[in-house]
Amino acid sequence: MTARLVMDPEPPVLRPTDLIRTAADVIMSGRYRRLPVVGADGRYLGMFGVNCLLGMVLPKALLMQEGENLAHIPRQTLSDLHRRFQQFEDQPITVCTLEEATIVHPDTPLIQTLFTLYKSRTNLPVVDPASGRLEGLISYWDVGAAILAAEV
Amino acid sequence: MVTHSAETAQVLFGLDAAWFAGTLFVLTYLLIMIERINRAIVALLAAGLMILGGVLTQEAAIRGIDFNTIGLLTGMMMIIAITKESGVFQYLAIWSAKKVRGDPWGVLVMLVLVTAVLSALLDNVTTVLLIAPVTLLITEELKVSAYPYLFAEIFASNIGGTATLIGDPPNIMIGSAVGLSFNDFLINLGPVVALILPVTLIPIYFIWGRGLKTTDENRQRVMDIPEAEAITDKRLLWQSLLVLALVVTGFVLAHEIDKQPATIAMSGAALLLLLHNLPHHITEQSHKVHKTCGEVEWITIFFFIGLFIVVYGLESTGVLEVLAHEVLDLTGGDPAVTAISIIWVSAIASAIVDNIPFVATMIPLIENMAPTLGGADQLIPLWWSLALGSCLGGNGSLIGASANLIVAGFAERAGQPIRFMPFMLMAFPLMLLSIVIASGYVYLRYL
Repeated sequence: MTARLVMDPEPPVLRPTDLIRTAADVIMSGRYRRLPVVGADGRYLGMFGVNCLLGMVLPKALLMQEGENLAHIPRQTLSDLHRRFQQFEDQPITVCTLEEATIVHPDTPLIQTLFTLYKSRTNLPVVDPASGRLEGLISYWDVGAAILAAEV
Repeated sequence: MVTHSAETAQVLFGLDAAWFAGTLFVLTYLLIMIERINRAIVALLAAGLMILGGVLTQEAAIRGIDFNTIGLLTGMMMIIAITKESGVFQYLAIWSAKKVRGDPWGVLVMLVLVTAVLSALLDNVTTVLLIAPVTLLITEELKVSAYPYLFAEIFASNIGGTATLIGDPPNIMIGSAVGLSFNDFLINLGPVVALILPVTLIPIYFIWGRGLKTTDENRQRVMDIPEAEAITDKRLLWQSLLVLALVVTGFVLAHEIDKQPATIAMSGAALLLLLHNLPHHITEQSHKVHKTCGEVEWITIFFFIGLFIVVYGLESTGVLEVLAHEVLDLTGGDPAVTAISIIWVSAIASAIVDNIPFVATMIPLIENMAPTLGGADQLIPLWWSLALGSCLGGNGSLIGASANLIVAGFAERAGQPIRFMPFMLMAFPLMLLSIVIASGYVYLRYL
């Protein structure tokens, strides 16, 4: 009983050369919070999340240290945010720092995997420790489906 | 070499105390410069070795720590940590931008002025941490590059900090060691700072200022920023302003009331903590006091403590006295040549290395020049030279001051990175310009 049992072996992935626009389409159509980024050789590079997209359209000042106190000040509209998104949409996703996610290995015991999922509160990449390749992705929904399908 | 301190114990393995302390000092400097290990760790480790090695006893080491500097720094950090929560500094920055009706060059000048004034009263890092986000907010509305604004603010923070006792750590150290008051700094360094700041803006205007253009619509967007909303806690605002006013008044009257700056700053911090916490339950108070104390830059405080011990150890072996004589031999014992040399050497050194260890070393070195130059009063121009050189020198490179690196980090995240070499190509000549003015000022006023 390992992580392999509850992972999706063919999750949607992003390439480091994918454009922000492409990533936004994939993320929004699938309503993902974040997706793994994988190199041409299949190596796992990190996670790209919807939070990065949101950060891009917010006024930069707010994301700086001591900037959050200004959050109630800008009077910007959705059009302003869209305009700001257009400045980034043709850039590769690597302009965003890829998130360092907690990972599990394919042979991580099942309960340890589920506890890691519970602690991290978001989907878990499954990475082969030897090759560094992405082997799959574990989401709450995959786990829920697997548990409810198990014989009692 | 014979040790000068009567309290120094036997040095480890019978080594020469001066060589041991000198080697330890050089290694400490190198490790601080390389930045491979956190500077507080380096200084504390070296301080420990100074005692374990037998150069100093623990009692002597503790006497070497300038608790007036430590208390002043800690007290001011606590006051600022609480005050900034009120939003008053952001209010001031937005208000100043609106005073020039969003004119891009006018906004730059006003933000420079606000940065300089705040840097004279707060530490430079805190100032730029508070002003840079507002700068990005305004330049984004004006749709102009933030680079010239951030560049000018780096200069303003280092120049403004030069004007007062509490504006920059070198001044705190010099003032504490020599007994120079808040008024002494303001009266002696204020005028030259007031001259250097506008002169520095002239090249900035010709390089960037002329090209800063925006539309009426964008200017209106700046005018629409509700600066009053930057104030997040009016009660705290008045409490903070009251305490800040009391503390500054205390600094101004320090001589008359016969109180050291550390006492004034720590008392102010305690009063503001009381006012800030009094309405809250004891549990909430603990949480808030913990937060305020957490905002004190303990790395800097422990760096100072370690460094004071290391320099005191070196001084106790007589090395700095020998170095002082060497310097005076080089300058021919001429006060004018010595003062001007100190400005230039301090400026160049501070552009390259951390000015805190440099000033910590220079203070006892200059003190040792007193007998040759004719007494402590003859050293006064040298102290102003050291303050001017070490504070203004921080503008010479991106690593010249912590505030520079903070602004560079902001610029990077804002997508307008300030790179090391392009910055230095612009900043170093501007820094030299300020040092030329400072040299002329010291020569004409004191020599």
